[in-house]
Amino acid sequence: MMNGTTISQPRWPIRLDARPFLIAISGVVVLILTALLLGVILMSFRAPPAGGGHYTLNGYRDVFQDPFTYKVFLNTALFSIMTVAVALFVAVPLAWVVERTDLPGKSLVYVLMSLGVLMPGFLTAMGWTFIAHPRIGLLNTLLMDLFGFERGPINIGTIPGMAFVQGLGLAAVSFILVAPLYRAMDGSLEEAGAVHGMRIVRRLWSITVPLTLPGIVAASIYILILAMSAFEVPAFLGLANKIFTFSTYIYIQANPHEELPRYDMMGATSMLMIFVALLLTWGYFRILKASHHRYAVVTGRGYRPKLFELGSRWLWVWCFIGLYFLLAKILPLLLLVYISLVPYPQPFSLASFSEFSLEHYRLFLGSKLARQAALNTGLLVVVVPTVCVTISFILSWIVIRSRVAGSYLFDVAAFLPHAVPSIIFAVAAAYVALFYLKDLLPLYGTIVLLMAVYTLVYISLATRGFNGALLQIHRELEEAAQVSGLRTGRVILSILVPLLAPAIVNLWLWIALLSFRELTMASMLVKSGNVTLPMVVWGYWSGGQMSGAAAAALVSIALMVPLIILYWLFGRRVQAVSVAP
Amino acid sequence: MITIRRLNKRFQRGEQTVYALNEVNLTVNQGEFFVLLGPSGSGKTTLLRCVAGLEKPDAGEVIIGERAVYSDKQGRFVPAEERGLGMVFQSYAIWPHLNVFQNVALPLMKGEAKLPKAQLAQRVDEALRLLQMDTMRDSPATLLSGGQQQRVALARALALNPKVLLMDEPLSNLDARLREEVRTEVWDVVKQLGITALYVTHDQVEAMALADRIAVMSEGSVLQVGPPLELYRRPKSRTVAEFFGSMNWLEGKVGPGGEVQTEIGPLEAELEGNAGGEMILGVRFEDVQIMDGTARGANQVEGQISRRVFLGDSILYEVIVGRKKLCAKTSADLNWQGRVGLQLPKEKLVVFPR
Repeated sequence: MMNGTTISQPRWPIRLDARPFLIAISGVVVLILTALLLGVILMSFRAPPAGGGHYTLNGYRDVFQDPFTYKVFLNTALFSIMTVAVALFVAVPLAWVVERTDLPGKSLVYVLMSLGVLMPGFLTAMGWTFIAHPRIGLLNTLLMDLFGFERGPINIGTIPGMAFVQGLGLAAVSFILVAPLYRAMDGSLEEAGAVHGMRIVRRLWSITVPLTLPGIVAASIYILILAMSAFEVPAFLGLANKIFTFSTYIYIQANPHEELPRYDMMGATSMLMIFVALLLTWGYFRILKASHHRYAVVTGRGYRPKLFELGSRWLWVWCFIGLYFLLAKILPLLLLVYISLVPYPQPFSLASFSEFSLEHYRLFLGSKLARQAALNTGLLVVVVPTVCVTISFILSWIVIRSRVAGSYLFDVAAFLPHAVPSIIFAVAAAYVALFYLKDLLPLYGTIVLLMAVYTLVYISLATRGFNGALLQIHRELEEAAQVSGLRTGRVILSILVPLLAPAIVNLWLWIALLSFRELTMASMLVKSGNVTLPMVVWGYWSGGQMSGAAAAALVSIALMVPLIILYWLFGRRVQAVSVAP
Repeated sequence: MITIRRLNKRFQRGEQTVYALNEVNLTVNQGEFFVLLGPSGSGKTTLLRCVAGLEKPDAGEVIIGERAVYSDKQGRFVPAEERGLGMVFQSYAIWPHLNVFQNVALPLMKGEAKLPKAQLAQRVDEALRLLQMDTMRDSPATLLSGGQQQRVALARALALNPKVLLMDEPLSNLDARLREEVRTEVWDVVKQLGITALYVTHDQVEAMALADRIAVMSEGSVLQVGPPLELYRRPKSRTVAEFFGSMNWLEGKVGPGGEVQTEIGPLEAELEGNAGGEMILGVRFEDVQIMDGTARGANQVEGQISRRVFLGDSILYEVIVGRKKLCAKTSADLNWQGRVGLQLPKEKLVVFPR
């Protein structure tokens, strides 16, 4: 009945298959990631002058013989544990309430929490400085006036203070990690408790908590890793007070006051940090794996259990939520606005209100630095997500679909930046660019180096997202295209890209936002020529110009708004797949 | 049309090596409707995927038409997109971002069998008309019912004018009533176009209804190949016999007169090659006939009904004969009680050495 040839002649004399090309791209990326980690190892064993010295254990000796290292270690441990405690204190009850009760306005909580993830840590840290700095913090000046203290009784620049601010920030991440646990839990398990006469508190304590405990422990370890490698809050709050955690310790090692940086010591400190981070990551996966059979119990069939009726208690819940947002976002932001409008940080008074001016904004906006930073940041926001999403898509496809032997190694490599603190990747990139590539490829101090390092580090995030999205797409959809004559490249373009479009858009916007606010990696890589907006803020702040920093930070946030609106419109439909370090 | 020689395929499951295909040999003739039948894990789907080019075998040969598409000796593996086949998947694999027309048209636009624009619409419409889907030409794929998706999947495969059509459990996601309807349609279309069909299923009724020939597979090997009636009446092994319906099994020994001495008395059977020694006799539930309560002739026994199960179109009786329980299935119109006679017809007994 149907006429025509069964198979047309090949259109090209040479058949170009996309597969080897895609595998090659993935291979190169994986090689670079591995090379950067090897760079850290190399760095830790080479005596000064950096890049030229002989191999030695001096770096390790000097790091491990120095009592200060142990102080930093202890600081980091305390800071991380307290951070987790604060974050879980907010996130776990909130997750349960949102998933398991009839709380009105739940979707708003979700939106606020996902947007909360995007608010840069340095913004909150700056805000809290103006609230609880022992000398200029408004809360402290208020207490001093009221009770006649000599010094402000509250100091945000301490380990508990930093952990409080960091915990408020990571509560949003914890919420996104913990909420699915309660969503996936089979509600009939709780209902069985109710039918057999258990009251709500009993039910929570003896059924819900034990069932979701492995998931919560796993989330805690994840948060612990993020806290351990956090840079912004310890830098903005702790450095001035000479309280260091791992990241800020590496930062001052790289920027010493007098002598040249000791790269071997930085390498040794990084190795210690990598060791701890890998240990925690291993524990994270162990727990996830061990709890898998429990998840099998936990994951119920499609039916939705009856939600717990809060009655009039919903008001209390919203007060709790409101208090959290007040402390974590609103108050710090308001303080920033106030400080940016007055000539220098000072308590509220009629005089201070009468002195309001836009002078700091005028100075910042008029500076050449600001224009250059805005241009660089704009470049990063366009290039990094585009390259990163493309590479990650390819990597995920190779890992999930291609069945190339050993492709899981690609996945392990792509996951590395998740386990290894991003500041270390930046250190390694700076070191390699400075001492090994400088003649061949003079990247140090250029915007290209920032683009490359951001892209490499965010691959770990985007591949998690694509792995999940690809697993949701039935393999037979691709096979059907293949059997009906489409080559690999066309299968990807005609079938996968349209089907994955929501995930692609979501990840693109997410990575764009992360690139915009990124400070940790920039702190190791930025010289004058490749300055970014967050680095300008950091420059003002560390130079003591707090009001200027506040104005610059607020301008940066304002520039972020269009991206956030885009994310709101197009990206939100897919749940934020992964969370920022 | 399809020749498979000594095909092998192993999978690594952790420490264990699973032989999904073990020295498989098969020939499918031009225009034949050939069914691969077997339980899950028997290797039937792997075999189909090896023919499609979606799976690469470890050793052997696959020849489609005149062309070797896989050969370990020649080191040749033709990828799926160059084999020019049509295939219907278990999940239908209808691309959800395209409408009905686009689903059928995409392979003709972007695939190896690329058509000029002018012919494209005509070819797609022809295929849709063949499957009575021409009225839904512009419907989005996500709004189609299971049966409609199935028709689009078939239209997409047939629009390519393939010489060979592969089908992987295409009816298993449809409900029972629709399954029979679509089954008939599939058979009609395949026969009307005269193409060669290779069809995978685990349902013996489906296999018997569709197949010119069936290959029964188990644990990666082909147990028996033949027309449905032959497999039903002359199975070569207990596994094959049981695959086509429930059996009563009796142990026995050949006596001096050529009859078989069994647990329930002597039975006549066609021994063929199986002369002498211990053997096992099988008879299908539906081949055991129930009569009045006395055994009168050859291959008849007496027993007591212990249970009656009403199955709708038939009744299943469990009858205790001596110490043995036999099952018989009869038309639902007859209603037996108490002591009955059972006839085990000689020509319907199958005999295997024990």
